[in-house]
Amino acid sequence: MTPTEHSQLIESLHPLEIKFLASFAERESRTTPEIMAASGLDESRLDMAAGWLQSKGLLTITGERVTSLVSLTETGTVYREQGVPELRIITALREGKQITVKDILQSWGLDPSEVSSAVGALKEAAVVRIVSGGVLALNESPDVAPYQFLADLISAVAAKDQADLADFPSDQQAAIQANYHKRGKSKGIFRITEKKERSYGLSKEGATVVRLLQQRGTTADEVSALTPEMLKTGSWKQKKFRAYNISLSPPRIGIGRKHPYREFLDFVKYKFIGMGFEEMRGPLVENEFWDMDALFMPQFHPARNIHDVYFVKDPTHCGKIEEPFGKQVAAAHKNGGKTGSTGWRYDFDIERAKRLILRSQGTAVSARTLGSGPKVPGKYFSIARCFRYDAVDATHAPDFYQVEGIVLGENINFRALLGLLQLFGKEIAGAGEFQFRPAYFPFTEPSVELHVRHPELGWMELGGAGIFRPEVTAPLGVTVPVIAWGLGLDRMAMVALGIQDIRDLFSTDLDFIRTKKIRLG
Amino acid sequence: MPTIDIKKNDLETLIGKKLSLAALEKHLMLAKAELKEYVEKTDDLKVELSDSNRPDLWSAEGVARQIRIALTGAAEDHPYFRPGRKATRVISVAKEMKSVRPYLAACTASGLRMTDDMLAQMIQSQDKLADIFGRKRTTVSIGIYELDRIAFPVEYRLAEPSSVSFTPLGMDKELTLAEILEQHPKGKEYGAIVRPFSAYPVLIDSMGRVLSFPPIINSRDIGEVKPRTRQVLIEVTGTDMRMTALTLNILAAGFYDRGADIDPVLVTYPYATDLGKRVSFPVNMSRPVKVSLASFQKGLGERVLAADVKKRLASYGHAVKGAGAMLSVTAPPYRDDIMHSVDLVEDYAISRGYESFSPLMPEQSTVGSLSGLELLSDTVRGHMTGAGFQEIMSNILCARAELDDVLSAGERLVEVENPMSLAYSVLRNRVVPSLLRVEAASSKAFYPHRIFEAGEVAVYDAGENMGSRTELHCAALHSHPAANFSEIQSSLDILLYYLGIEYRLERAEHPLCLPGRFGRVVAGATDLGFIGELAPSVLEKRQITMPCACFEINLNALLGEVTKES
Repeated sequence: MTPTEHSQLIESLHPLEIKFLASFAERESRTTPEIMAASGLDESRLDMAAGWLQSKGLLTITGERVTSLVSLTETGTVYREQGVPELRIITALREGKQITVKDILQSWGLDPSEVSSAVGALKEAAVVRIVSGGVLALNESPDVAPYQFLADLISAVAAKDQADLADFPSDQQAAIQANYHKRGKSKGIFRITEKKERSYGLSKEGATVVRLLQQRGTTADEVSALTPEMLKTGSWKQKKFRAYNISLSPPRIGIGRKHPYREFLDFVKYKFIGMGFEEMRGPLVENEFWDMDALFMPQFHPARNIHDVYFVKDPTHCGKIEEPFGKQVAAAHKNGGKTGSTGWRYDFDIERAKRLILRSQGTAVSARTLGSGPKVPGKYFSIARCFRYDAVDATHAPDFYQVEGIVLGENINFRALLGLLQLFGKEIAGAGEFQFRPAYFPFTEPSVELHVRHPELGWMELGGAGIFRPEVTAPLGVTVPVIAWGLGLDRMAMVALGIQDIRDLFSTDLDFIRTKKIRLG
Repeated sequence: MPTIDIKKNDLETLIGKKLSLAALEKHLMLAKAELKEYVEKTDDLKVELSDSNRPDLWSAEGVARQIRIALTGAAEDHPYFRPGRKATRVISVAKEMKSVRPYLAACTASGLRMTDDMLAQMIQSQDKLADIFGRKRTTVSIGIYELDRIAFPVEYRLAEPSSVSFTPLGMDKELTLAEILEQHPKGKEYGAIVRPFSAYPVLIDSMGRVLSFPPIINSRDIGEVKPRTRQVLIEVTGTDMRMTALTLNILAAGFYDRGADIDPVLVTYPYATDLGKRVSFPVNMSRPVKVSLASFQKGLGERVLAADVKKRLASYGHAVKGAGAMLSVTAPPYRDDIMHSVDLVEDYAISRGYESFSPLMPEQSTVGSLSGLELLSDTVRGHMTGAGFQEIMSNILCARAELDDVLSAGERLVEVENPMSLAYSVLRNRVVPSLLRVEAASSKAFYPHRIFEAGEVAVYDAGENMGSRTELHCAALHSHPAANFSEIQSSLDILLYYLGIEYRLERAEHPLCLPGRFGRVVAGATDLGFIGELAPSVLEKRQITMPCACFEINLNALLGEVTKES
């Protein structure tokens, strides 16, 4: 190691490590009790510091000694205070008391198994016998020495704190082993705990570091934090500030943050403002009139049935359809009205038009805007939540956003439509290559699908558009041509978020939302 | 819209030219069709047709025709539509049909050289036309029969459900009409169309043999076309004369394209129809449409020549007359979708190819802007994220169970009548339940949780024309071991401070929150929303084991206050 490396190593030492190493000032090898005594570290901190120092290659374990420490169990403590059961029985009988096993069980507070083993042992040693009525009687000249021996041993163990088994004479060791409390059994008198005592030695690097620490006079008294107090009193000048290990990962924090999908939609929103579009809004609950009839979708259109649209349960119908739009749209469907069209040639049902549904397409918002006296020239967009009758799966969400809009102007025509779509392709999808394909929408003619080569997705359909049919615009009082367009941006959003399941756009998992990043542009 | 199966080889035979897949994909654009799949081993193409108004394209013959005429550059003659051809076969319609299924159109096709491909296409196009164009056989259904087995004249009349029996296709015993509805798969599937009536439609020939039970099923003896069949009767019944006649025209053109001779059948009606009482089908219903060259130029945005328009429309199937500023265009008899001159403008553009038009960048300058509500929402969202809240976005459709326990007394929801799943059957009327849904799913995300959502809700309101109001609400929620009223109030207080709103809290009760720890947020006379500590019962029901406090503000109401202030 170079001096710089040593220096960096020393600066990165934790105060616990420094305290640990300081206890090696005189000797290069020490045992755990010695280190504890010298450093003042408790056992767990000592273990931590030793672990760190070993991983840094400064310390090695040089030896390990296992000590068996003897102490009293709870039972042992009770025996010490109240006497060994056998002795208690003998004493009671000597005092002339008439006792039965039942009496002992009921009033001595001993475990039944303790009682039976004590009485059993006394009978076997011919110290007591049982006479009529179950009464215990003391035999002639009983040998009480073994019980006194045990009582003395209990006192001896209690007198020493953390008595080492090896320090006891062999007969006592045998008695301890015989009454050794094994885990899970409650009757033992003595507990034996094994304790490991380690010896540590400095490595070559460790010895160098200890020497350097001494030379520098580094102690663990270095401060880790600068306090207002130090600044006020100027005491910081006398302090040493511990160097941090700056390669560690910081803890995670939760911050205030936009939803990543919202961030994507905001990006789209600002793009549209930049292109001169005005935002429009509409209701979540629509009637069929604005959602479909005003868009010249005939009332028998296959996309209008119960398997495509969510109908509202109550109220089922709206109060009224705005006039003169209702009558004019009805005429356009029936025979073209004043639009120069043949119409769909069927009897338009105004009650059907009042049927309330959940908005099924963003174009409904455009239709309402057409009926509200829009600006000419004018550009409008909306990011509208829509609902379709679909089984929810990885590609179908119960509700989703559609990005839709209109462009009104005297000079709107097919080429202007293509130009607008090309602009969208560049601005929104960052695409340089475009393909326009013929398409069909009931409300536009001509209709076109915009396909673009997305930088990551390859060729994809970005949206559909067209010029509103006169059967749409004229009944709503608009006399200039109007481009209607809609973009399908969910796939782009999913790529930007790096997700595969459309349901994850509205995830309920906070951890997922917090960690999702988004790439825009 | 329909997806159809075609053998590539069959399509090429009909087009009259071998095509690479790339060339085919490009040509398919003429039919607004997209190639979905090609399995080289079996030569199977899957083609999706997007135009629901062009049922003539829903078959190999129709797709091939649109491509063929583009390649040859000329509309094709369909001589069997010329008037004056004498029909030798008659179908008479009984007067009681008027109120049940009033229209019938028919013709014959002979000289068939039936192939497997042709048979497959015939069945597919019948299915697609009756299912999609005919709305599951309600408005239009089709029968095709072995002509040799029929003794004309044929009668189209009603029969008592138990009075007539025949062996239907797919079975080997005679059943009455009533039994067919009970037992036959098609009877079960389509029976609802005829059940409202006391007697059912039948086609019966002069020998008293049943051809079919429209729109349910054909007779097995007469109404089954086999590979050796050489001539057929094609019949369409329906509830709309134009759709019925058009369906026949589409089928006739398909057979004609495969080399069959089409001959008329005279259908006699005892009542008036749009096409008269004695109609010799097929009938060409297309009428010349006058369209000015100027409307092409205005619609397309560039100068076009009359000769070019004529040429492009002809190679798309139209008959065009005139040479100057005004053209007269007649659509082919298998199409009935030209409602307005804009339809012809599109046909021209498709025929010429969209790629031949150079895009024009938008020239008119307009000013982009956000609605006041969206601007306010953006401002609020900015404050909320600045205050350390993570934004959430949620579905608006949710389960009733998520909202039921947090409704005020008498409060109602906008409910879906035909939900696909109970999990998505009502519109939320508040945002806080959506935030609770996040909490319920996020107990493993590290705390504290500070989340908010600015999103739309639908508020039931019988007084509104639409029965409800759409509002934009902003709700925020704290969740951590010490989350409480005072902490969330600080968040609300600083938000309203920056928006310049002076507010007060009015004590109230709400099932969402603990009694005594809930308040309405009021500015002047306007109720802006509420604030409170979530009731333990509400949390427990959602298995949330962390205290939560929340507020919710109606941004529509707030917008009114903000504008008032400034």
